[in-house]
Amino acid sequence: MYRATELPPAPAPARRRTSRGGAPQTFPSSLRVEPLVQGDTSLGKLDDHVRDLSEAKPPRSWYVALVITSLAGLVGLASVGFMIYEGIGTMGNNVPVVWGFLIINFVFWVGIGHAGTLISVILYLFRQKWRNAISRTAEAVTVFAFVCAMMFPAVHVGRPWLPHWLFPYPNERGLWVNFRSPLIWDVFAVVTYFSVSVMFWYLGLIPDFASLRSRVKSRVKRAVFGFMSLGWVGNARQWLHYEKAYLLLAGLTTTLALSVHSIVSMDFASSMVPGWHMTIFPPYFVVGAAFSGFAGVVLVFAFIRTAMRLENYITERHMDLLNKTVLFLSCVMAYAYLMEGFTAWFSSNTFDRYIFANYVFGDQWWAGSLTIFFNCILPQLLWVPRFRRSVPIMVLVSAGVTLGMWLERYTIIVLSLHRDYLPATWGTYLPTPIDFAILLGSVGIFLTLLLLFLRKMPIIATWEVKSDIAHHQAHPSGGLEAEHA
Amino acid sequence: MGEVHEFRQGALDPIEPPSEAEPVSRRRFLSLMAASAALAATSACESPPADTIVPYTKKPTDVIPGVADYYASTYQEGLIPYGVLVKAREGRPIHIDGNDEHPRFRGKTSLRAQAEIMSLYSAERLRQPRLGDQPASWKEADARVVDALKQVAARGEAALLLTPAVISPTRRAVIADLQEALPGLKHVAWEPALGLTERAAAEALYGDALVPRHRVDKAKVLVALEADFLGTMGNAVEAMSGFARNRKPAKPTDPMSRLYCVESRLSLTGSNADVRVPMRPSGAAPLAFAVARALHDDHGVTYPFGLSPRVLHPFHLDDVARRYNVDAGTLTSLVRDLAAAEGESLVLCGPALPAEAHVAAALVNAMLGAEGSTLETGVAVDGAPLASPADMAGVARDVAAGVYGAVIFWETNPSYAMPDAEGFNKALGRVPLRVSLALAEDETTRRCDVVLPVNHWLESWNDYDASADLLSLQQPLIRSLYDTRQAEEIVLGWASALTSATEAEKDYRSYLMQRWEREVYPAGTPATFQQFWTAAVHDGVLGRDVRPRPPRNGRVEAVADAARAVAGETAAGMELLLEPDLKMWDGRYANIGWLQELPDPLTKVCWGNYLAVSPSDAKEIGVADGDTVTVAAGSRRVTLPVLVQPGQAPGTVFGALGYGREGGVSGGRGTNLFPLVTDGGRSPFLRSSVSVVRAGGSQPLVRAQTEFSTHGRDIAPVWSLAEYARNAKEPKKDRSLPTLNPNLEWGDHKWGMAIDLSACVGCGACQVACQSENNIPVVGPEEVDRGRIMHWIRTDVYYDGPADNPRVAHSLMLCQQCDDAPCEPVCPVAATVHSEDGLNEQVYNRCIGVRYCAANCPYMVRRFNFFDYTSTLTDPLDLAFNPEVTVRPRGVMEKCTFCVQRIRNGVQIAKDEGRAVRDGEIRPACAMACPAEAIVFGDLKDPDSRVSRLSRSNRGYKVLEDLGTRPAITYTVELRNPPEASGEKGRV
Repeated sequence: MYRATELPPAPAPARRRTSRGGAPQTFPSSLRVEPLVQGDTSLGKLDDHVRDLSEAKPPRSWYVALVITSLAGLVGLASVGFMIYEGIGTMGNNVPVVWGFLIINFVFWVGIGHAGTLISVILYLFRQKWRNAISRTAEAVTVFAFVCAMMFPAVHVGRPWLPHWLFPYPNERGLWVNFRSPLIWDVFAVVTYFSVSVMFWYLGLIPDFASLRSRVKSRVKRAVFGFMSLGWVGNARQWLHYEKAYLLLAGLTTTLALSVHSIVSMDFASSMVPGWHMTIFPPYFVVGAAFSGFAGVVLVFAFIRTAMRLENYITERHMDLLNKTVLFLSCVMAYAYLMEGFTAWFSSNTFDRYIFANYVFGDQWWAGSLTIFFNCILPQLLWVPRFRRSVPIMVLVSAGVTLGMWLERYTIIVLSLHRDYLPATWGTYLPTPIDFAILLGSVGIFLTLLLLFLRKMPIIATWEVKSDIAHHQAHPSGGLEAEHA
Repeated sequence: MGEVHEFRQGALDPIEPPSEAEPVSRRRFLSLMAASAALAATSACESPPADTIVPYTKKPTDVIPGVADYYASTYQEGLIPYGVLVKAREGRPIHIDGNDEHPRFRGKTSLRAQAEIMSLYSAERLRQPRLGDQPASWKEADARVVDALKQVAARGEAALLLTPAVISPTRRAVIADLQEALPGLKHVAWEPALGLTERAAAEALYGDALVPRHRVDKAKVLVALEADFLGTMGNAVEAMSGFARNRKPAKPTDPMSRLYCVESRLSLTGSNADVRVPMRPSGAAPLAFAVARALHDDHGVTYPFGLSPRVLHPFHLDDVARRYNVDAGTLTSLVRDLAAAEGESLVLCGPALPAEAHVAAALVNAMLGAEGSTLETGVAVDGAPLASPADMAGVARDVAAGVYGAVIFWETNPSYAMPDAEGFNKALGRVPLRVSLALAEDETTRRCDVVLPVNHWLESWNDYDASADLLSLQQPLIRSLYDTRQAEEIVLGWASALTSATEAEKDYRSYLMQRWEREVYPAGTPATFQQFWTAAVHDGVLGRDVRPRPPRNGRVEAVADAARAVAGETAAGMELLLEPDLKMWDGRYANIGWLQELPDPLTKVCWGNYLAVSPSDAKEIGVADGDTVTVAAGSRRVTLPVLVQPGQAPGTVFGALGYGREGGVSGGRGTNLFPLVTDGGRSPFLRSSVSVVRAGGSQPLVRAQTEFSTHGRDIAPVWSLAEYARNAKEPKKDRSLPTLNPNLEWGDHKWGMAIDLSACVGCGACQVACQSENNIPVVGPEEVDRGRIMHWIRTDVYYDGPADNPRVAHSLMLCQQCDDAPCEPVCPVAATVHSEDGLNEQVYNRCIGVRYCAANCPYMVRRFNFFDYTSTLTDPLDLAFNPEVTVRPRGVMEKCTFCVQRIRNGVQIAKDEGRAVRDGEIRPACAMACPAEAIVFGDLKDPDSRVSRLSRSNRGYKVLEDLGTRPAITYTVELRNPPEASGEKGRV
C-alpha cells in the first residue's frame, strides 16, 4: 500500500495505452468507477479542512442543536435520577412484562453501535477503500451508542446501587456471579466490545491528532492534541508498527463485532419465553444490528455531508454504497423474519405459533406490522439508483429503519412477554412518561456527544483518505477500482 | 471509665398514657407487651400492670421469644361464630386460622375472618372517645351519655339500641340489663347483608325460625337455587369442606356427588357445578314446585304435610322450562337424580330468593327426607331476632317522627348499610343523643355526637351459641391497643349508672364468668369451675349434650299460599340480584386492604364492584367492560360500571353489596348498592323490571386477570367422570424431557405439593392466608391496574365454551418449585438457587432486581417490588407482620417459598425431639387455610406420604410439563359429574 506524507508526482494520465500500442483504449462505462474523492482536493486542503472544523467557531445552528440535544440528555438523566430515587415502578414494567423500554433501548443502542466496527473493521479487512472517509465518524457513532447502551443495564435493575455485583471480583462476602446466566455473558461481551471499540477508535485517531497538533493555532489545543497524539511523528518505523497494530486490532474487533450481539441475543434465545427461544437469534441479531447501524450512519452523513461541506470526501458514491448495504441487509432481515415465522409454524408449538401470530395480528399488531414495513418494505425503495443518492429518500428510509429496528426490539421484548404460557397471566404494557423521557435522554446524550465530536475532533481519518486523494490525483476522471488495490 | 448504667435513662420512668392525638407507637406497644407478657391468655382486660417496666430478669415461663403461641377464640360474622385459632408472637396476634378442635370448622375459617388481623391493626381505628368534634375522656363521655339517657327516661321517651345480630347469650344478658335500667329502650338487631326470607318461610311453614345446618357432606345430589353456598351464603367454610369431601375420588368408580346449580349470576357455586342452568331468579319458586310435582307424578314420591296434589297442578317442568328458557331435559335429569338420592339429597335456596321459593325448596327437601340427614335441625336454635329491611324502614320512620330521645349504635353502620340510608341520615339529625360504639370511623360515627371506641374482638371476651350443642368462647389475644373499652363493658357501666347500682359487675370478663358459673357450668362436674372455665377458654368451644328436637311438621296452608302466590307469575323485565360481596360482605371489611385487593374469584376484579350483565344484554344496551350504566329500580337509581359476565342469565343483572364506603382504605372505591335494596316487595335483594341504561361515562375496572380463555392450551383440564374412567385406563405417559442438568441429589427431604383441583372451588382463602403469613404488601388499585399485584398464590380462572354458559376451570397457581427451574440459571448474581430439600429459594439480599427470572418463569409466579411497597405499612399496620418472614425491600424479586419458615421450624422441632418429621406436620399457610383441603404438602422422598400418594394419582398432571421444568407440584384434574343420559347438555 502506498503511503506518503509528501505529495506524489503529477497525476498519471487517465487513459492507458495498451502494450500493443496504437489507439488509446477506453474502458466500458459500466466498468468505470466514480472516484472516492472529487473536486478540488489535495492532501493539504484535506488537513486544513479537518483542522478548520475543529478550530473555527462553529455556526449558530451547531449551538442551537447542542442546546436542544443536551437539554434532552439532561431531561433523560433527570428522569433516570427520579427513577432511581422513586423505584423502577415509575416506568411501565410489570409482571408479565418485566422488561420494557430500558432493555429495548439497550438492544437498540448496541445495534446502532455496530456500524462503526463493521465499517471500519470488516470493510477494512475486505479492502473496501470507500470506508476510509466514513470510518472515523462511524466509529464515533459506535462509541457514543455504546455509552448510551451501557447506561441501561446498570439503571434498569431494581437496585441500581448494586450493579457491581454483576462483576466477578473477590469480595469479603464470598459471593460469586452465576456464569450460567446470559446476563453475565452480556456484561463481559458489552464491556469488552466497548473497550476494544474505544481502543480501535483511538488508535485510528493518533496520526490525525498529530496532524492537528501541528496545524492548530491555539496553544491549549496544541498541547491537548500533542498529548493525545502520544508522541506521533509519522516516521516509517512508527508507520510500520502502526499498520500492524491496526490490522491486528481490526481482526480482534471483527470477532467481537460478531459476538457481542450474538451474546445479547442469547439473553433472549437461551430463555424459554415463546418468541425468544429461537436458534436463529444470534445471526439474526447481528444482521439486525448491522442494519440499524448502517441506517444510523446514513442518517448522520446525510446531515453532516452538506452541513460540514464534506462533499469532496464523502461523495454521492459513498452514500450510494451505504444505501446498497442497507438494502442488502434489509433483504437479509426479511429472510430472517420469514425464517423465524416459518420455524414457529413448523415447530407445531402452540405457544410459538400464537406469539408469532400475535406480533402481527394481536392487540398490538401495529408493532409487528410496522417493524416489517420499516425494515423490509420501505428500504426496497433503494433498488432505484436515483433514490440511493437522494437525501430526502435516504433520510426517510434510514429514519424508518432506525424506528423499525426499535420497534422490532419492542415487538420481541414486550409482545413476547405479555402473552406467554398461561393466559391467566397475560397482561398489557403501558410505558410511562419516564420511559419516554429516558429514551429521549439517550438520544440527547448520543447527539450531544456526536455534535461535540463533529466540531472538536478530526472527523475524517485523513491519513486514510490521503491515499484516496493520491489515487484521485493519479486518475482524476475515475478508473478501475482494482487498479491500485 | 464513665458510670455504668444498668438501664437506659428513662427506662424506669412510669409509662405515660398515650397522648390524645398520637397513635400507639411500636415502642409503647412492645413495652406494654413486655410488661404484661403473659396477659394474652387470661388477664387482658385487667387494669394496667405495674407502671414501671424493666427487661426480663426472670423470663415468664410461658413466653419464649421467637416461639409462637396459639389461642382459640371465636369471631362472629352475621349469624356465624367462626371458631378460630390465633397465632401470636410475643403477645402480638399475627395470623388467624380455623380452630382444629371446633367440630363445625375443623381448623378452617373464612377468608374474611383471616383478614381480621388487618382490622385489629387498622390505621382507621378510633383511639379515644369523642364528644362532638372534640376528644374526650371516658369519664366525660360516660357522664354525657348517662345524663342524656336519664333525661330520656325522665321524659318517658323511648331510646333505640341498634346492634348486629346478637348470638352471644352473655351479650343478650347485658342488653337485657340495659333494658331493665332504661325501660323505654328498644333493641333492634340489623344485619344488612342477611336475607330473612328463609326465616319467613320457616315461620310460615313450621312456625319456628330455626337455623338448620346444611350437611353438604352427606348430600349425593345437591340442587342450588340461586344459592352460593360455597361463597356468600351461610356457613360456606363448612359447606366447602363438606362439598370437597365428595369431590375427590381416587378412582373412577368412587362415589362423587352431583351438583345442579340453577342461578342467574355466575357464582362460585355455579362455577363448580356439574350442571349449571342459567335462569332468572323469579323462576326458582315455580321450578321448585314443578320439581316437587315431578317427583310425585313421575317418581312416586309422596307429598308431605298431607298436601293435596291439586295444589301443585299449576306447575309443570316443561312449562317452567319453556317460560324461563331452560333445557327441559336437564330439569328432568335433575328430578331423576333427586328421586334416586332420596335421603341423600339437598335443595338449597339462596337468601335473596323470596319466601315462596324457600317454602317450595323446603317442600322438596321434606319430600326427599332431607330433614334429619342433609338438613339438620336437631340442635338448631331459634334464629336470633333480626330486623328486616321493612322493619328498618319502620325504625327510620320512628326516628323521623321523633319517637326516640336517644339512638345508640353498637358496632353497626346503618348510615351506610340500609335501604334508605339517605332518609335515615337526614332524620337522624333530629335525635337529641346519638351515640356510636364503633371500632373505626364510619358513616355512622360521623353523624354521632358521642363516639366511643370499642375493643377489637381480638381484644375482647365473649361467648356465642349459634347451635344448641355448641358454646363458643372468645378471648382476647392482646390488651387494648388504644384507649378503648369492650362494648359490653360500656353498656354495663351505663346500666349500673342508670340504676345507681354501684356494686354491679362492670368488668365483662367477671360478668361472663359469673354467668357461665351460674348457667353453663354443669352441676356435679368433678372439675372446679376454674378448671372447667380454663379448659373451655383453652378449647375455644364447649360441646354440650342436648336432646335433639323432634322433626318438624309443616303447615300445608303455607305451601298452598306460596304456590298460589307464584302460580301465574311470569318473568318481568330485567331482574336485579343483589348479594353481599364475598370479600366486603355488607361493607364492614372495606378498610381491610387484603380483602380489597383480593381478586374476585370469578371476575378477578379488585378494589370495586360492578354490575354483571350477560353478553347478550350488554350488546343490546351497547356497553362493554367498564362503561357506566344507570340502574333504576323503583324510584332509586345508581350509576356504576358494567362487567360483561359470561354465564350471566340473559334478562338479569347482578351487583355486589359492600362497596362505595366513604373514606378509609377503600377510598370510596366501588359503588354503594344498598340504595337498591328494597324494604317492600317479596325479597329485599331481588328487584324486577329494573332499567339499565348507558350513563355515557366509563370507570375502568381494576382486574388481576384479563384473559379468561385457555386458547385451547392444555393447562387446566376438566374431565367428566366418564372421561376420567376412560383416561384412567390409559397408562400415564412419561412426559419428562431429557436434561443436561446433573440430577439433583436430594438431602433428607424433597418437599412437594399436590393440589386437587376437583376439591378446590377457587374461593381465595389461600391467598389471604398467604398474604398474612408472608407479609405480602397491598399495592393499591393503581398498581394492580399496572399489573403489579403481589400475591404469591393466585386462583386463575378460565372460561371455555359458550359465553352464555361457559365451563369454568379454576387453577391454583404458585411457585412450582421446579427441579429444573428456569429462573435459576438465568439469575446473574445467583440470587435464586436450589436447596438440597428441593426448594427453589429466593435470596432477597442478594437479588439486584434484573427480573430475568420472572421473564423466564413460564408460570409467571414471581413478583417484583417495583416500589417500596412496605414503607406505607407504618405504625400500627406493621405490627401485623410475621417476624419469621423477611419484609422485602424495594427492587427485589419475591415469590412463594412453600412457607420455608414453617418447614425449617418443623424440621427443627422434629430434630429437637429426636424423631423424623411426621407426614402432615408441616403445612404451608395456604394448605392450612384451604377449607376444601385441596392442598396437600409433604415430603416426596417418603413414598407413603400423602403428597407422594397423591402425586402418583391417575388424574395427576403437571402444568406445562412438556417444558421440562419438573415442577414439585402435582395437580389432579378437576372432575365434573354430569348426568350420563343427557350427556353434558346442561353445561355443553
